[in-house]
Amino acid sequence: MELYLPKDPLNIVICGVGGQGNIVASELLASALVNKGYYTTVGETYGASQRGGSVMSHVRISTIKQCGPLVPLKEADIIVGFEPIETLRIARDYGNPQTRILFEPRPNYPLGVLLGESLYPNIDDIEKELGELCGTVQLIDATKIAIEAGNPQAANITLMGALTALPEIPLANTDYDQVLQTRFSGRVLELNQKVFAMGYDLVNQG
Amino acid sequence: MEWMITADEPGKTYLLQGNEAMARGAIEAGLQFAAAYPGSPSSEILTMLGHVAKDMGFYAEWSTNETCSFEACMGASMAGVRSLCIAKQNGLLVMGDALHTAALYGCKGGVVLIVADDPSAHSSTNEFDARHQARSASLPLLEPATFQEAKDMIKYAFDLSEELQQVVMVRGVTRIHHGRGNVTLGELPVSKSPLNDKPSQIENWDKLFAINFFHDAMYDKLNRAQASFEQSPFNWYRGPKDADCVMVVSGMGWLYGEEAIDTMKLNDQVGILKLGCTWPLPEQFIVRHLVGAKKVLIAEEVDPFLEQNLANIIAHHPELNVEMYGRYQARAFPHSKELTPDLVINALADIMQIELAPKPGVNIEPERQVIIPPRELTFCAGCPHRASYYIFKQALGLQAHGGLIMGDIGCYTLGALRAGHYGVNSMGCMGEGVNMGEGLGQLTRFGFDKPVMALAGDSTFFHSCIPGLINAKYHNSNMLFIVLDNAATAMTGFQPHPGIGLTAMGDPAQPISIEKVVEALGCPVTVADPYEIEKSIAVIYKLLKEPGLKVLILKRDCATLTMRKGPKRRVWVDTDLCRGDDCGCGRYCSTTWGCPGNIWNSTKKKAEIDEVVCIGCGVCTTLCPAGAIKIEGGEE
Amino acid sequence: MPGGIELKTEVLNSSACTLCGACLDWCPYLKNLEDNLVMPFACSVQDGRCYSICPRTFTDWQEIKAAVFQSASGTLELGTFTAVYKVRSVDSLNGQQDGGTVSRLVKTALEEKEAQAALLTASDDNITPASMLATNAADVEKAAGSRFLVAPGLRKINEAAQKGIEKLLVVGRPCQVQALRKYQMKTGNSPMQVLSIGLFCMWSLSWTFKDYLEKTYPGIIIDKISIPQHGVEIASSQGTKVLPTEKVKEYVQPGCSYCLDMTSELADISVGAFEAEAGWNTVLVRTPRGAALLQKAVDKGYLTLEEYPEQQLQGLKRASLNKKARNLKFIKDAVDNGSLKAFIDLSQPEYEQILAQAEGTVNS
Repeated sequence: MELYLPKDPLNIVICGVGGQGNIVASELLASALVNKGYYTTVGETYGASQRGGSVMSHVRISTIKQCGPLVPLKEADIIVGFEPIETLRIARDYGNPQTRILFEPRPNYPLGVLLGESLYPNIDDIEKELGELCGTVQLIDATKIAIEAGNPQAANITLMGALTALPEIPLANTDYDQVLQTRFSGRVLELNQKVFAMGYDLVNQG
Repeated sequence: MEWMITADEPGKTYLLQGNEAMARGAIEAGLQFAAAYPGSPSSEILTMLGHVAKDMGFYAEWSTNETCSFEACMGASMAGVRSLCIAKQNGLLVMGDALHTAALYGCKGGVVLIVADDPSAHSSTNEFDARHQARSASLPLLEPATFQEAKDMIKYAFDLSEELQQVVMVRGVTRIHHGRGNVTLGELPVSKSPLNDKPSQIENWDKLFAINFFHDAMYDKLNRAQASFEQSPFNWYRGPKDADCVMVVSGMGWLYGEEAIDTMKLNDQVGILKLGCTWPLPEQFIVRHLVGAKKVLIAEEVDPFLEQNLANIIAHHPELNVEMYGRYQARAFPHSKELTPDLVINALADIMQIELAPKPGVNIEPERQVIIPPRELTFCAGCPHRASYYIFKQALGLQAHGGLIMGDIGCYTLGALRAGHYGVNSMGCMGEGVNMGEGLGQLTRFGFDKPVMALAGDSTFFHSCIPGLINAKYHNSNMLFIVLDNAATAMTGFQPHPGIGLTAMGDPAQPISIEKVVEALGCPVTVADPYEIEKSIAVIYKLLKEPGLKVLILKRDCATLTMRKGPKRRVWVDTDLCRGDDCGCGRYCSTTWGCPGNIWNSTKKKAEIDEVVCIGCGVCTTLCPAGAIKIEGGEE
Repeated sequence: MPGGIELKTEVLNSSACTLCGACLDWCPYLKNLEDNLVMPFACSVQDGRCYSICPRTFTDWQEIKAAVFQSASGTLELGTFTAVYKVRSVDSLNGQQDGGTVSRLVKTALEEKEAQAALLTASDDNITPASMLATNAADVEKAAGSRFLVAPGLRKINEAAQKGIEKLLVVGRPCQVQALRKYQMKTGNSPMQVLSIGLFCMWSLSWTFKDYLEKTYPGIIIDKISIPQHGVEIASSQGTKVLPTEKVKEYVQPGCSYCLDMTSELADISVGAFEAEAGWNTVLVRTPRGAALLQKAVDKGYLTLEEYPEQQLQGLKRASLNKKARNLKFIKDAVDNGSLKAFIDLSQPEYEQILAQAEGTVNS
């Protein structure tokens, strides 16, 4: 099988908040890539937070060698954000004018915002700054889609559908489906296949 | 994934987590016995092994603490079986005495001790460097640099351990343990257990005595390990012969170092000496590759361990004449925190006097930047610990002189932060709370007038609190010891413990009741539900009035367990009743309770429930002074 | 207007709180158990109801007096009253203190629909106070007798208002009647009408007194506590114990030492002991509603009245004046040394008069 990457290594940063399932999402993506024959390295930063803290995964894809588990600063090619302010935080550190961003606009409020001590920024302002920092920015209403499909927890797979549809990712939607089938079964599998397709179509058509 | 670590598919490549790779490596090595206490980032190893143990014909247990796990492995080894012990850096120190004495008599069946260090302390209170313990106990030490090595080294370590009759330590770091990469599987073992052929492995004259008589023998083993390391496939040199500059790397230093050299296209100028065997160091191998070098950049995780041992070798070899750059005196890398690719690139560029091109990026003036609120760690929606700290704050608020809370290690450690209203006065290591509380509680006799409380989780209780509790009881310290029993070792990922009634291999076990253990010590024990806020406050208030040692168990399942169990009850806000920002509330549910499920709609000026994260515990319905928060099945 | 944080610093942290309870059960930030009232979590509300109804935050008492009593004339010592009687119940009630007058007035009010509920303080063990909303005779009987430990009974006004009670009778200590009047000013358009029976009160005790009794007389079961002239009498399973008043005063609620009101001067009707003769009460009638309630109780044959002896009235005035003068000095000292924020206008001539007259009494 011919391996091809538009850039080697291809660096993806997936970020969000603990409990949103982005670790699982990045693992599924990387598994699909390894199954295709790519060297793939995943570095996960989640610390002590089962939930509630900032979480990010770095996925680095290469046809040549096993990369280190961290993407150097400013060298993300794609950022997938599960939460708006986390996306912006990561875009400032890892984004560059060529970086492509997919992000979920639904906020997950940090404690300081809940307690009324800090304000959650306006989504339009976040999107605007993301646009200034990076190349293209696309909003993906993943949670909304997942709720429509039956369970908000599936938002992570929705975003993976959107990511897989990007031309840079050397995967067909069927490649990802194989991995879903090894990991899930029954109704959970059906739900994940459904939201994956919805996320995929959103980017593929748009 | 379980099926990947047991797949009989030699040569097949899968994406494996470092922990999975190590588990696979142990299975390939013919592991017979595995024991550990959970600790991030190592916990997944034994979880995986436990799940497959029955199918693969070995034994695995979640031991009650790290000393138990290590000594159990030494016991099993005495019968000739290969035993794997896994711990995080703190756990290694817990078993410190056992480790040092075991090193004196050594092992029979191979014993491999995997220690997961946590540089930058992502999921720890500290970033202690475990490697010092290997040197201190005179144990051979290996450090995997890739996910493939994480697997391969385990088999190598077992073989070495049996060859030397000595425990071998393998030190990983978070980026290996919690990273993932391509791993090509090896052969599964053919023969299962040495006990099958010879059930009575241990002769009556087999005795393991830790006596100083063996000190020389211990050194002899170390010397043999060194000889073996001179030939080890885990040490290699890549680069030009007689390079002026050589990077000496271990662990993550390899991938970052390689990336730095490749990025700056220095392959013709800079050599890289990668060491997988870091104690004792393969002296001849190192001298051979450094003899022409003028500058050495040492990239390793946490302490300048490799660097100082290298300095020792250099001091003994006048033919070496190098300048060293590493963690020592922060000459190349900071004293603390983990390596990053940028740190390594910058350090190498500095030494090579290369000016790096500025990275592409847009600079937005600070005043035009969106203000991003910090994301503090907090308890999950519905977490019983949030309720507990809310209770503590009020119960101690009602005391004339406040009070002290001696914390411990678990999810509830987050109570030290705003999530727990900065609720603890100490948090350090496991089992510490009850002991520090005991000490403070003895000061009443000198007029110390603050009530003292000490915390422990259920798993921590079994791990390290029982001797402390006995001490506090025997000396009748004025203290309230509180067990936050959420029926889970939640922080590390829900490993079973002796109170749960399940083993690592999925077998049922007779659960040990914390309440009964406490009662058996003669301590008065009260059980309360942290979800019942007012009742629990009154209970603590009453207990603090009583002299001597009191024990309270605040019992409520972890919210994540509750969520997994099934459909949740819907919670909503009756906006007609909600007082919002006005007096008589001042949006109490969000500003004070602080559960991620209780959000504030700043447009409507009313409270709301985030139904995606709410688990339906209903505690906030009891806190709303207006009764505006409603729960399905609750009072209308 | 100030809010919760100011209440915390000016009242709670200054030990000025009387534990009237007016601020509780409305506000989630204020927490009470036994005689502790604290604010563990910071309240950020600017204009706090707690602050505006607390009897220990600055108040224009003249304005309140003018609103309660259309004519603000009154005596310096006992405030405004239209009549004073020596009163006792016709039949004696189990557990009653002195003349049993309060219980009969409450019973009358409930029977005559002057009140749908009465806010009373009962006790299961004859010492630990428990506030309740009484709606029938049995409840009233349960609450018979005096309670000497502080209890934040006024918290129940919030429950009463939430229950939609339109006519409420409150039996309370002087500070509670003060808070009640401030509450009425604050919630002026509330549909709930409140009638108040004020109790005479020299001071109330903190709950440590209970601990003291239990420690001194282990296992004691208390039948009744009373305070005759010679000390504090505890009738109990272990016989009658008499404690010197000075000993008991060690346990006085700190906030009571700033109290200038012995006879519940803002109540509709005030009731206390009649010192000269056991089995009788002193009753000061202050408002027409108070007078009407007393008249109904007499008409129903529950109470009998007698003319109040002038000599006793002078004694009562002297006792009240002494309390006022003593505590006024405490207030002044505390304000001067910065440990208390003045909750009264110390420049009012009334306070000068109190000190002058008390001085004269002592001298004469």
